[in-house]
Order: sequence, then structure tokens, then C-alpha cells
Amino acid sequence: MSTAYEVLNVATTANDAEIKQAYLRLVKDNPPDRNQEKFQLIHDAYSAIKDHKSRVSYALFRLPEVNFDTLMEQLLQTEHTLNLSAEFINQLLQASIDDTTLLNATATSKK
Amino acid sequence: MKDIIIGIDLGTTNSEVSVVEQGKVTIIKEGDKKMLPSFVGIDDAGQVIVGETARNQYLVYPERTIKSIKRLMGQDTQVVLADQAYTPQEISAIILTRLKGIAEQYLGQAVSKAVITVPAYFSDAQRQATREAGEIAGLEVMRMINEPTAAALAYGTEQAEAKQVLVYDLGGGTFDVSVVNMQDGVVEVLSSHGDNHLGGDDFDQQIIEYLIEHIQETHNVDVRQHSKAMARLTRAAEEAKFLLSDQPYAQINEEYLLEHDGAAVHLSLELSRIAYEDMIEDYINATIDATHIALKGAKLTASDIDEVILVGGSTRTPCIRERLLNEFGFEPHSEVDPDLCVAMGAAIQAAMISGQEVDTVLVDVTPYTYGTSAIGVLDGQPYPFMFVPIIHKNSVLPNRKTEAFLTSYDNQDTVEIIIYQGEDPDALNNVKIGEFLVEGLLEVPRGNVITLTLGLDLNGILNVSAVEKETGLEKSITIKNALSQFEGESLDTAKQRITSLFGQMDPRIIEEEPSTVSDTPEITAARELITKAEGLFEKISAEDKEDMVDLIETMTGCIEAQDIEGLDKSSAQLTDIIYYLES
Repeated sequence: MSTAYEVLNVATTANDAEIKQAYLRLVKDNPPDRNQEKFQLIHDAYSAIKDHKSRVSYALFRLPEVNFDTLMEQLLQTEHTLNLSAEFINQLLQASIDDTTLLNATATSKK
Repeated sequence: MKDIIIGIDLGTTNSEVSVVEQGKVTIIKEGDKKMLPSFVGIDDAGQVIVGETARNQYLVYPERTIKSIKRLMGQDTQVVLADQAYTPQEISAIILTRLKGIAEQYLGQAVSKAVITVPAYFSDAQRQATREAGEIAGLEVMRMINEPTAAALAYGTEQAEAKQVLVYDLGGGTFDVSVVNMQDGVVEVLSSHGDNHLGGDDFDQQIIEYLIEHIQETHNVDVRQHSKAMARLTRAAEEAKFLLSDQPYAQINEEYLLEHDGAAVHLSLELSRIAYEDMIEDYINATIDATHIALKGAKLTASDIDEVILVGGSTRTPCIRERLLNEFGFEPHSEVDPDLCVAMGAAIQAAMISGQEVDTVLVDVTPYTYGTSAIGVLDGQPYPFMFVPIIHKNSVLPNRKTEAFLTSYDNQDTVEIIIYQGEDPDALNNVKIGEFLVEGLLEVPRGNVITLTLGLDLNGILNVSAVEKETGLEKSITIKNALSQFEGESLDTAKQRITSLFGQMDPRIIEEEPSTVSDTPEITAARELITKAEGLFEKISAEDKEDMVDLIETMTGCIEAQDIEGLDKSSAQLTDIIYYLES
């Protein structure tokens, strides 16, 4: 399985603008109308790493093997002063857990 | 020969057909007209007529003429046309058949494939109905694309640098607003919002109501009871609306509108632009609210927008431009004809699908959230119909999302899955678009995992499948137009029915119609005179009517023979009679 970085053919250190441009170039060559699956792969990769928050989340949870060097690099890229307090780490985790609150839901039933 | 795919803008008021040839977009004309009025009628001879002729006939025979059928698409209803009931799909198919014919005549070859545009905010049912209309017309709908997106494509080919663009699309019956990022040859839709039942027709309706009220007050007559008078009021209201785009006042004159207690009712009144803008203010406010929702969906503010593009004939209303200028701080663009840019975009997309090289590629989103209902918590209380969104509004197309659900009691062998479209946390406030049962589940304690997968294709049409994780037991459906009368074979029946309607047409008549568009001013005036005369038929003596019918026949003969001199003579006589009758 290729990583999102490999799909988009960008360095793991690429910034938002570089990733966006790589994404658009690939879309231009692989429009959704010609090859839906390929497009979806490209789009999923882009969604996974399009901004700083998603890149950190991707590094934490989705990269095949957690590469701590990459992860630290991602974390240190932030423009704000890095505050590695428990609160901050908690927020980072929260950011990607938000979407799964629906797990509590159970299917409607019918006799 | 390679299959040609045509682009079609199937509009509420007007429709167009277009094609890309040697990299250039052409709107295919019929005669010298690029737009085909979306009117369908049955003429005196029982033949189907479409476009300008049907539009003219509407004044005299509203009961055998249909307008604005697009507003009914996706609804479980039928319209009556000359005592026959038709579904909205069939009426739309008649318009599509005509557009197909126009394209075939221009291209000199048969056409069987099309890209058809639909309002971005068209629901699943409305999209299904549009596809069915295409099938009835003998057109394989290769793709349905959203109208504002198509317009952006038409503009996109001219853009060099990256831009955030807002497309404001107000047509005859629908309103859409999309926020689009144009960069590196990709038109990327960031968000869409809209209203399926808001457009220029509503503006006309406001004026019509005003006229009805005026006549009620001045003559104590309810015009609603008189279908022909209503048809004339409708046309008069529309004309007044057009005038008010350029002028501060519009004079509305409809002589001999109807007869009441033996006296003629004439309508004569002046409508000011200010009064008109007052009438439509609520509608304009609704479009501005929708614009803000779209901006929010794209996570942008008005100041992030580099350009505003106007699409749809109704954007000619001056107060709309003013409101947008106020919102964004710059003049909106309308260089590409607001009436034609959607059709142009459809042709560009069609060219792309057929494998031609194009400058711009499209990435679109869904304007709706799709999900299911489950036992959950709403407002702090346990609630059995909590809405669980699966594919969110403004997600890119195509899209596929899976969620896991758990059975809620021991030995539960059946799960009912209901699919909703909407944004409300209470599923019952959203639109139910499909449901199905998964039966024969394992007899296990509660907590049996069922995965539900929703897939939206490029046309915005939904596929749903549910799987019991343990066994792989699967059940899936395509959300069919739940309200459609067409199941399998009946679509073929409809196709035959519509084809045979066209079959009745005398080919000579089809040939001749384009010539009417190159009318000289004399002929145009004569035609108007004939229409006016026909409008009087009901109120005059048999003797007068006979005289007029004779004259009209002479005039029609002169028109066919291009005998302008003879036409002038009979026109003058008819004018005299009308003058005599009206005075």
C-alpha cells in the first residue's frame, strides 16, 4: 500500500501549497469522469494530508508504521510556539477522534 | 465514426444544445435562435409542437400548452395536454427529442448520447427523473452535471491564475450558488447550496398577483376563472419584468382581456421598478442567505472571493447586481452570456467524456448530506430516529463511505435501513429517499455488527449496501426515484408513446419551421396580428370570426409564398377589423 505522500508524489516535508498543486496536476491528468477509482485514490490521499492538522493525524494513525522522525518533523513545522503540554497532546488526539463519535450509534431495529 | 456526445441545458424557461468541435464550443442554432423556449403543445392538427410556436400558442390555447415543466420533475404528478395525461419526464423528453433533432440536423449524423445539466440543488428524485426523460427521448445520459459548475467550466477555460469564484445562478425556476476554486486547469467545487423552487417564474407570479388584484379592484372580476386571460397576463407580466431590467417604469396594456357583464375589460397600468423590487425582495433575500450558507460551506468569507459569475436570465434584474456588489464590493461578471454558459459547460464536459483534450477538468461535490437513522440521543433524550450522517454535504464526487452499526437487542434477525437526505439531527425532519430490510441475521446477543456503505456516483445518484460483518450477508439497492411511475418496461412504453407523437409530425413542417425564424419585420408583425385576432375569437360574432379566419388564411398563404405586398394588404384589412371590434 502506498502512502498518501507516495500517491501524490510529494516529499513528506511538502507544505499545503505544494500538496495542493500536486493534487490538482494529478486530477487534471486523471479526471473523475475517466477513472473514478484512480481519482478517489488521489482525492483520499489529498484529504489525508492537505493541511497541517490532517498530516499530524495521518502520521499518528494512518501511516503504515509510525515514523517518529516524520511525526516530530510534522509537529515542529507548526508556526505557533510549540507547547507540548498534556492539554496540547490531548487536543491533537481529539482532533481525529471527533469524527468517530457516531460509533455510539446503533442500528434502528424492526421486529 | 466516433460517437458524438452533445451538451444540453434543459432549462425551466429555455433550453439549449451545444457541441465541441475542433476544440471550440458551439451553441447549435435553430434558424438564428440559440434558445429553444421550454414550451410543449399540441396544435390544431393534433401534432406536437415545441419551442417558439408552442410558446406563442400558449396565449391562445393554454389548455393544450405546457410551460415550466422542470418545476414538476421528480414529483409524482401528471400534466394534462390536450386531454392526455403525461408525466413530467415525458414532457421533458419531448423537449429533449427536439433538441436532439436540432443537433442531428446540424451535425448531419444520429446522436444518442448527451451530457445534461441539472440544478446543483436538484435532489436524488429530480436527477433520476431527468435521466428517465433522457432515456425516453432516446438519449443515453452519459453524465448529469450541475448547472453552476457547468457555467464555471465555460468561464474556466479563460482563466490563467488561481481564483476563488462564486457562481450565482438564478434561472426561471431554480436557484443555485456554488463556490469554486479554479486553479491549474481544474474547476474544483468547494460548496453548493440552493433552492429548487425559486426563480424568474416566481417574479412573474408576483406581478401576475398584482395584476389580478388590480383587475379585481377596478372591474370586480376574478381573472383566475379565465384561462386565456391568465395566459395573457402571464405573458404581460414577463414582458414587464424584462422592461424593468432596463427602464424605471413599465406600461402594461392588455386590451380586451376578457368580457364581464357584457362589457370589455381592458387592463392598463404602470408598474415602477421600485414597486417590482419590493415584490421580489423576499426572494432576493433568500438567495443572499443561500450565498452565505455556500460561503460557510467552503469555509470562506465574502472577502476571500475574487470573482462573482452571474448565470441565468433572471440575473439581469438590476437589484440582484446591486445586492451582490454590496456583499462582495465589486461588480459581478456576466461576459459569457448568462443564458448560454451552462450549455457551453455541458458541451465541454461532453467533449471530456468522449476523450477529447480539454483545458479544464471538473471536480464537483454533493449539495446534500446523506445518512440513516439510528437509536441515539437527541436533545439529551434517548431517541429512535437520530439522524446519522454518512456522506456529508459538500463531499467530493464520487464518494463512498462506510459506517458500522450494532443490533440493539438479542437475537435481532432483521434490520430496517432507512436512508435520508438532509441536515436535521432529527431524521424525521429530513427527506426519506429509500428504505430496505436486511433479514436473516445471526441469532446472537445484541451488538451484531452491520456495516452500511453509501456510494454517490458522479451524477449525484446514490447506491446503498448493508453487510452483516460476521456472515457477509449483503443487501443493496440503488435509490430509485421512489416516486417514479417508470419501472423497467414502462419506460419503453413511454419512449414509444413520445416517439409516435413525433412520428405524427409531417416532416415538411419540421423542415419549414427554421424558415420562420428568418422572418422579415412584416411577417413578424403579421404573425403578431394573427395571434391578436385569434385572441378575440371567443368574444365576437360568428360572422366577424368567419371574416377574420378568411383573412388569416390569406395572410398565412402570403407568408408561405413570401408575398409581402399581398400580406400588407390583408394585414391592413385585419387591423381594421380588430380596430372596429375593439372600439
